[in-house]
Amino acid sequence: MKNKQVTSKEPFSWMPKEVIAFFKETGELTSFGTRFFREILFPPYEFKEVIRQCYQIGNKSLGLVGVTAFIIGLVLALQSRPTLVDFGAEAWLPKMVGVSIIREIGPVITALICAGKIGSSIGAELGSMRVTEQIDAMEVSGTNPFKYIVVSRIIATTLMIPVLVVIGDAIALYGAFLAVKMKGAVSFTLYFHQVFESLEYSDVMPSFIKSFFFGFAIGLVGCFKGYFSKKGTEGVGKSANSAVVVASLLIFIIDLIAVQVTGFLGLI
Amino acid sequence: MGTRVDNTSVLEAKLQHVIAEPIIEIKHLVKSFGENKVLKDFNLTLHSGENVVVLGKSGCGKSVLIKCIVGLLKYEGGSIEVYGNEVATLSQKQLDELRAKIGFVFQSSALYDSMTVCENLEFALRRHGKKFSKKGKRIGLARSLVLKPQIMLYDEPTTGLDPITAREISNLMLNMQLKYRTSSIIISHDMHCAQMTADKMAVMIDGICYAEGTFDELNKIQDPKVKAFFE
Repeated sequence: MKNKQVTSKEPFSWMPKEVIAFFKETGELTSFGTRFFREILFPPYEFKEVIRQCYQIGNKSLGLVGVTAFIIGLVLALQSRPTLVDFGAEAWLPKMVGVSIIREIGPVITALICAGKIGSSIGAELGSMRVTEQIDAMEVSGTNPFKYIVVSRIIATTLMIPVLVVIGDAIALYGAFLAVKMKGAVSFTLYFHQVFESLEYSDVMPSFIKSFFFGFAIGLVGCFKGYFSKKGTEGVGKSANSAVVVASLLIFIIDLIAVQVTGFLGLI
Repeated sequence: MGTRVDNTSVLEAKLQHVIAEPIIEIKHLVKSFGENKVLKDFNLTLHSGENVVVLGKSGCGKSVLIKCIVGLLKYEGGSIEVYGNEVATLSQKQLDELRAKIGFVFQSSALYDSMTVCENLEFALRRHGKKFSKKGKRIGLARSLVLKPQIMLYDEPTTGLDPITAREISNLMLNMQLKYRTSSIIISHDMHCAQMTADKMAVMIDGICYAEGTFDELNKIQDPKVKAFFE
């Protein structure tokens, strides 16, 4: 009798718990994202908080993004050169590096670094705000905590990641230039002339547009994990950790979708 | 003497208080978390200008009770009426208006740690379209007192404090009652604080209001469950 009741009430009880938890969390994340779009439409608008978050996110990640981009550009050029030399295509190095960095490596690497730095930071910050009842205190004081904390952070990541991607791309290209310069005689002007000559509108725009989605995913996941953090320090740690893991995974999924969409539109 | 309140003046002031209409009426309140029924049939009334201390063991649902009052938690049964308004039926706007009249002191203080003390105080005022004047303000005033609320809900305000500071906080709560004529529900298991501040006490055991009365009345009760708090 009891078993029958359970079966009729829970149609998915035969599924493994992990699968149910996955679908449940996906549903909750979607609902959280929907609430973001609902809240963003209506006043009050927290412009000051958005600007503060833009500064926090952009300024504090710039150093790490810059250093990583520089090394990636340098290493990419150094490792690609021998193969191109073997085929007598050394002159193609700036073009190859330019397209690789602008189309794929720049946006994805920058987004992954930001998922690690910003995603975990937002997850831990909101998690500790939840645990120490700061979010409850905000609600009691008549402030909509979702609008003040979540909406402002998601807007800030959505706006700042593309900026960081552009800066990261520029630094990575400069790193690649230094690698090319180390091995052969090429001027700064000639190198960048070759880089930009190889780039087309269809290389730049899709990667720039997808970086907005990367930023949105990082902010959304970080806020979601932190906002619903479980009680205790362990909960905060888990929020920060899972924010990074889920955001990184989402970046790859978005990248995959972006490639399919640009292919479908004939932009590849 | 600082902020300490003279006992005679407290008594005189309290005599002047005409305990009038009920401000908060909690009837047959039921709240559970999954299978765990925390509040089973809780009843309590807070009158104007009154300080009610709710005593109870850790984890018995005292904090849940005051979170239900401000609408932070939804309850399954019973009713909570604040100024005659049923909390569960209020719209978000009405709830915000009600919350503006209520000050909530959290157990962990819940200060926004990304802000300075001054910004913490300003934050609450700015939200209600008021300006913060630093003149004459003591920076140590709790953020929840800045808006001069009519009702104060204190969640274990003296827990983890040394006896001297705990006494100062208890005096501050009395000052609030006298100066601003606030009505308060104080969640505590600090008997010194309870003795100092309570006009009435309610003992919460097993999710119900097990016993109610003044400090002296409860102190005389022979029931072992109540007596355990006074020993």
